[in-house]
Amino acid sequence: MHLINVYTLSIIFSVTFLFVVIELVRKNKIQERYSLLWIFMSIILLILSSSPFFINTLAKLLYIVNPPSLLFLFGLVYLLIYNLHITVVISKQSEKITRLAQELALLKQYKGNKEKNV
Amino acid sequence: MKILTIIPAYNEEKTITSVISNVRRYIPESDILVVNDGSSDNTPLYAAAANAMIINLPFNLGIGGAMQTGYMFARDNNYDIAVQVDGDGQHNPSDIQKLVKPVIDNLTDMVIGSRYISRTSYKSTYLRRIGMVFFSALVAFLTGNRVRDTTSGFRVVNRDIINYFAKNYPIDYPEVDVLVKLHKKGFRIMEIPVEMNRRQCGRSSITPFRSVYYMIKVSISLLIGAIRPADSQ
Repeated sequence: MHLINVYTLSIIFSVTFLFVVIELVRKNKIQERYSLLWIFMSIILLILSSSPFFINTLAKLLYIVNPPSLLFLFGLVYLLIYNLHITVVISKQSEKITRLAQELALLKQYKGNKEKNV
Repeated sequence: MKILTIIPAYNEEKTITSVISNVRRYIPESDILVVNDGSSDNTPLYAAAANAMIINLPFNLGIGGAMQTGYMFARDNNYDIAVQVDGDGQHNPSDIQKLVKPVIDNLTDMVIGSRYISRTSYKSTYLRRIGMVFFSALVAFLTGNRVRDTTSGFRVVNRDIINYFAKNYPIDYPEVDVLVKLHKKGFRIMEIPVEMNRRQCGRSSITPFRSVYYMIKVSISLLIGAIRPADSQ
């Protein structure tokens, strides 16, 4: 078994990724609630790549000829899930920004009126 | 001493009036600020009718965002002490004086009104009790400080913590989170037993699924918070 194979690369990658995400949260560059999916993904990736056993059994069940391609599939699916999550978050934020803009404009209007009446 | 009682409220029209009048009754020297967290019911109307100061948030921010707004108000208006009383009637304003006293006497920086020090008649769901014990242990492990009721929102803080919270207050489920952060900053925390009521009306925003999600989320947050350098922020 070669020392550098897709499994060891995955392990190195997921550990590094986990470390980077935690650092980003620690430095307040990512809010904790948005980091959860990343942390969850890194841990699953770590478990899956820790031993060929998991990937091999899963591949057999799904009739996939080349087990490591499951790792890639997993990565892709996870990216899709995460993007969908982000889309939901952005939609919510759009809504909030719109409300803020409206309230601000209304506030300026009220302030303007108050000054006129004084 | 200028005291401000902050009442965060999200759709609490059934209880807000009695909470305000009880606060007024048991701690008349305190100003009252209702932070209306985007309520869709009559909460702001009733609060105004009760002559409390009100801040109406443009949309729901959650308890973290709402309380932080209250702390910002307290800081900007030079309050010495801030009391948190939930708008749903779970906290008893009759206990406020005994929670406030140690802060006035400068025996501590923050007082938590705790449900679990002595046997109180407060009954939670089984899952909640497990969560409580878990967090209490986690916080104790991370800070060396035994806090029994880590999620109680019934708290009193002094000016230093008001200033800190005005700039740093976690958005999601902050009550447990801040215990670790405050400890890192060297603030003193004291727990005093109180009786709390079951939620009188309305639904708690925490369902069983959310409880598990919350526990995982807050645990991760606590752990990361514990390794954060003390003087960031």
